[in-house]
Amino acid sequence: MKKLDVRGAKCPIPIVKAKKEVDQMQPGELLEVVSTDPGSLPDFKGWTQTSKTAVLKEQRTEKEGATDLYIHLLERK
Amino acid sequence: MSNRDEIEIAELLAKLDGGEPLLILDVRNVDEYESWKIEGRRDFNIAHIPYFDFIEDEESSLARVPQAESEIVVVCAKGGSSQMVAEILRSSGKPARSLVGGMIAYGEYLESVKVPLRGAEEGLFELRQLNRRGKGCLSYIVVSAGEAVVIDPSRAIEVYESLIARAGARLVHTFDTHVHADHLTGGPALSAKLGGDYFVDAGADFELRHRIRALRDGDELRVGNIAIRVLATPGHTPGSVCYLVADRYLLTGDTLFKKSVGRPDLGGKVEAWSQDLFQTLHGRIARLDDSTVVLPAHYADIDEIGADGLVSAQLGDLRRDLPELHMAESASFIEAMKSTTRTPPPQYAEIIDANLGKTEINPERAIEWELGKNQCAAGGGPTVRTQEASVR
Repeated sequence: MKKLDVRGAKCPIPIVKAKKEVDQMQPGELLEVVSTDPGSLPDFKGWTQTSKTAVLKEQRTEKEGATDLYIHLLERK
Repeated sequence: MSNRDEIEIAELLAKLDGGEPLLILDVRNVDEYESWKIEGRRDFNIAHIPYFDFIEDEESSLARVPQAESEIVVVCAKGGSSQMVAEILRSSGKPARSLVGGMIAYGEYLESVKVPLRGAEEGLFELRQLNRRGKGCLSYIVVSAGEAVVIDPSRAIEVYESLIARAGARLVHTFDTHVHADHLTGGPALSAKLGGDYFVDAGADFELRHRIRALRDGDELRVGNIAIRVLATPGHTPGSVCYLVADRYLLTGDTLFKKSVGRPDLGGKVEAWSQDLFQTLHGRIARLDDSTVVLPAHYADIDEIGADGLVSAQLGDLRRDLPELHMAESASFIEAMKSTTRTPPPQYAEIIDANLGKTEINPERAIEWELGKNQCAAGGGPTVRTQEASVR
C-alpha cells in the first residue's frame, strides 16, 4: 500500500496530491492519505463520488498526541 | 490586501448590497454550501461547483460555470481552494477573483453602522451598531466624552479595539446582554485587554467563572455625558438584561427582535422561561415609551436590515406588529412559545460553557463552533435571499 502524507496542508492540496498519485497507480492498488484537515473528510467523500480513478474504501480518525489525523484509504479504479 | 486576483469581504458585500452584477461561485462541498452561504441585501447570482470537481475534470467543470458577463467571485471555506478555481477561471478567459479568507472571513466580518441620533443628542455621544453579517449577530459601541462601552462583542475583538482607538476613547465597561448560546463572547478578552469592567448575568442556575462587576436592575452607569440603565429582562435566559442608552436606545439582546422575541427553550425549562419572558414583555418593556429605539443582538433575515443599513425598530411599531406583544394572557403566550421549541443550535452547550468561563476557547474549535447563522429567535429560521443560477 502506498502512503501520502499531507499533514498540515489545507484544501485544495490534499485532493490535488491524492489525485496525482492515484492516477499513476495500477487498478486495485491502494493509497492511504494522512491529513490534519477535518474538512478533508467530506471533501474526499465528495470527490470520490465523481472521480473516474479513485474509490474511497475507508475513512477514519486517529489521534497522534494532541493532533487529530484524518485518514482516507483510496483504491485505484 | 485586495489585488487583481483576490477580493476582501468588505468590498464583496459592498458590491452585493449595491446591486453590482456579480456571480458568486461557491466551491465548498454540497453540505457546507446547503447549510450556509453568502447573503447580500439584493438578489444576486450564485452557483455551486465543488473545487474537487475542478481537480477531477477541469474542462467539464468549466463548462458548468454559468455564462456571465460580470465578474465571478469564487468562495470556499478558508480561501485556499477558491484561489485555485479562480486561477483556472482566469486562464480560461473568465474574470474571476477569490474571496480572501473564504466563509471564515465572511463569518467574522463586522460592518460598522452609525445609529442616527436625535437633535440635542448629537454631539453628546455616538452609538454604532456592528453587524456581523455572516451570522446575523449585532453588537454595539457607545462613545461619549472619551469613554467607551461595548455591548455584546464578538470573539474577534480587533474591530472594537480600533474603533475605540480611533475615537481616542478609553474602554470603561464591556457588557453582555446574556450568556450567548450561538456565538462566543469577546467580552472578557476585550475588558482584560483594554481595561474597564465586564458584566454579564448568568442567572441563578448557572455557574459563572468570569470576574464581573455586579450590576442590578435599575442601576445607572455614567458614560461621559450620558447614562446607561440596566433593565433585568429574564426570559430568553434567566439572567438576560437590556441596556437603555440615553433614555431612548434600548439594546435588547435576545429579549426582543425586530420580527420576533428570543426563544425561551434553550434551558430545557420552556414553560418557566416563557412565563419570565411574558412578564418581561408586559412589565419592564411595556413601561417604556413608544419612541424607544429597539436595537437587538440578532436578526434572522437579511431583509431586517433597513435602508439606512441598521437593524432597528421603534418600540411602538413592534407593539403594533408583533403578535407576541399582543397576547394578553400568559397561558396563550406560553403555549405559543412552546410550539416554537426546536433543536438547539449546534454546539450550544460547549459555547455556553466557554461563555461562562468554564472552558478555554481553542481558536480553531471556535471557528468550527461558530459556523452558520444564529438561531436565537422564537419561530422559523431565516430565509435566504439569493438566486440559484442554473447549474447542470
